Amino acid sequence: MNMGAEAAITLRMWTYYPELLSKPVPRYTSYPTAAEFGDTIGSADLQAALAQAHADVSLYVHIPFCETICWYCGCNTNRNNRAERLASYLDALHAEIALVGDLLPRSARVRRIAFGGGSPNAVTPVDFVRLMLSLTQAFCVEDPVISIEIDPRSMTTTWAETLASVGVRQASLGVQTFDAGVQAAIGRVQPLHLIESCTRMLQQAGVSSINFDLMYGLPGQTLEMLQSTLERTVELSANRIALFGYAHVPHLVARQRRIDASALPDQQARFAMAAHGHDVLQGAGYTPVGFDHFALPGDPLAQAALSGRLLRNFQGFTDDDAPILIGLGASAISSFTGLLAQNEKNTGRYQMMLSQGRLPATRGVARSDLDQARGQIIQDLLCRGSAVIAPALLREVQQSLAPFARRRLIEVDEGRLTLTASALPYARAIAAVFDAYRAESARRFSAAV
Amino acid sequence: MKSCAQCVIREKAICQSLSEDELDSLNAVGRHQALKRGQTVVWQGDESLLVGNVIDGVLKLSVTSAEGKDQTLGIMFPSDFIGRPFGARTQHSVVALTDAHICTFRRSGFDDFARRHPDLEHSLLQRTLLDLDRTREWMVLLGRKSAMARLASFLVAMGERVGRTVQADDNGTLHFDLPLSRQDIADLLGLTIETVSRQITHLRERGIIETPGRRGIVVLDGESLRECAEEA
Repeated sequence: MNMGAEAAITLRMWTYYPELLSKPVPRYTSYPTAAEFGDTIGSADLQAALAQAHADVSLYVHIPFCETICWYCGCNTNRNNRAERLASYLDALHAEIALVGDLLPRSARVRRIAFGGGSPNAVTPVDFVRLMLSLTQAFCVEDPVISIEIDPRSMTTTWAETLASVGVRQASLGVQTFDAGVQAAIGRVQPLHLIESCTRMLQQAGVSSINFDLMYGLPGQTLEMLQSTLERTVELSANRIALFGYAHVPHLVARQRRIDASALPDQQARFAMAAHGHDVLQGAGYTPVGFDHFALPGDPLAQAALSGRLLRNFQGFTDDDAPILIGLGASAISSFTGLLAQNEKNTGRYQMMLSQGRLPATRGVARSDLDQARGQIIQDLLCRGSAVIAPALLREVQQSLAPFARRRLIEVDEGRLTLTASALPYARAIAAVFDAYRAESARRFSAAV
Repeated sequence: MKSCAQCVIREKAICQSLSEDELDSLNAVGRHQALKRGQTVVWQGDESLLVGNVIDGVLKLSVTSAEGKDQTLGIMFPSDFIGRPFGARTQHSVVALTDAHICTFRRSGFDDFARRHPDLEHSLLQRTLLDLDRTREWMVLLGRKSAMARLASFLVAMGERVGRTVQADDNGTLHFDLPLSRQDIADLLGLTIETVSRQITHLRERGIIETPGRRGIVVLDGESLRECAEEA
């Protein structure tokens, strides 16, 4: 298929209003967002929150190592070129697991364990199983849903056997694009056959839900290239797809300086790609989940989206309804009703704190009642496309909502704000209206599309 | 015991796949230790993390909480490999429940050796996965509320690890000697010794087990024992 710039302006459902997308907005994987984190939060706050955690808990375990570093990646990662560095990080991680497990009440039950990174499969399978051993011993783990992010380039049959034995049920592959030229332009070369064999290995290992992370807005990427990547993805029957816009922020992520900024698609082209991706995947039978995820109808994530149970967390859209998330590892974030706490990002300082027996939280924000109320509205808008707004607040934001109302992207009826079908690309911008920290902010975020 | 060639668990141990020469070089980085009952395994004068083979005896892996409370995380028997690194720097420790012999290695040295010997690396992975399975079972056991369920789970697990089937009668009943005293069992299960004795009496009176001698257990009705283990 071939879509020129003319055709891209008006698509089947979405209309391009550049003026509504001019202001960068957060992704709202939390509220307040990480931009509001300060260093007033530390070990003592996390310890107090852990002591009160009498509920279901999800664990996130961060492995900030990769075999090779991709140029586009904004994650907290290191090249694990030295086994020693990896080993001392893992020792600290084991110590943190024991420490947190010790502080948590016995009534806290772990239902989900997610391994992310970096690339969790940059460690050896034995080290991965040792982490599972530590987690099993430190926490009250009940028949958990275990998920893992996988770098297809480091996937092996031994890893597949290990995932099967441990009982991992969900995996996410960093695919980004199947186009060889674009892969070279972002420093991540992985031929189609590699993704195919990785997917097959995971399926045979009993992984029942496989996610592909894909990107649009990459250097030199065209609509046709995106189309062909989406077709390959559908052929490989990925259960879930996350289609993210590449965020080029070289002033924040130094490694992105290797990417040729002049080859990046402009905002209008990005909008067309997001819209086209949405159309293609919906046409292929995928259920849209939030503004950038898609899932096959039988998948738990699609079911959560269809039944209004969808939620947002640091990994994106999720069906995880545990009220508490505990992040383990350098830079990992823990989330409680009244607190967001982030671990030390620098792995050296992270290890030092644990060698002193201290919880390694060094940043975060306390969530006030107001934060919680605003956070609820933002989550409702992004996950369900609708939120109940108190009359006073509705009056307060009326001006800011007017541009969206005028273009029929929202409707307000008896205190309920609802996004119309064509509002999806503007969902973050609409949610940002309720962000008390972002009324007039000069901070720079990635573009909303 | 000086050499791996004489090792009594050689056929069943993690190092079974290694050649004589390879065993010699592994042996050169390992240490044999004789432990008295109650003794904690450490690499004297060193804070290294350790892994190791159980040659004979029974040991427990336990964790000490910040408040100094001790919890058992698992029990190890001859030919088991303790692949979960332990040592002075961790909260995990390995303690001999009976007089025991083990051979230990610094974790770093052992992992390096394994990296260069794919067969050993594969066995290490298999042992660690087995360890995970057993740990999961053990945590389920400790999570059981009733004393009967905990004791019955423990006896089922013991039977699987150290039991031998007696073919004398048609059912093939299971016979084994408990490797631990009733006090040890009570400590492991978080029960009092009186409760342990009372539950054993219950099982005997219901015709599920017999208890010949001081430590003997004969499982007459394995199915009922497993049912008791499943009680809430």
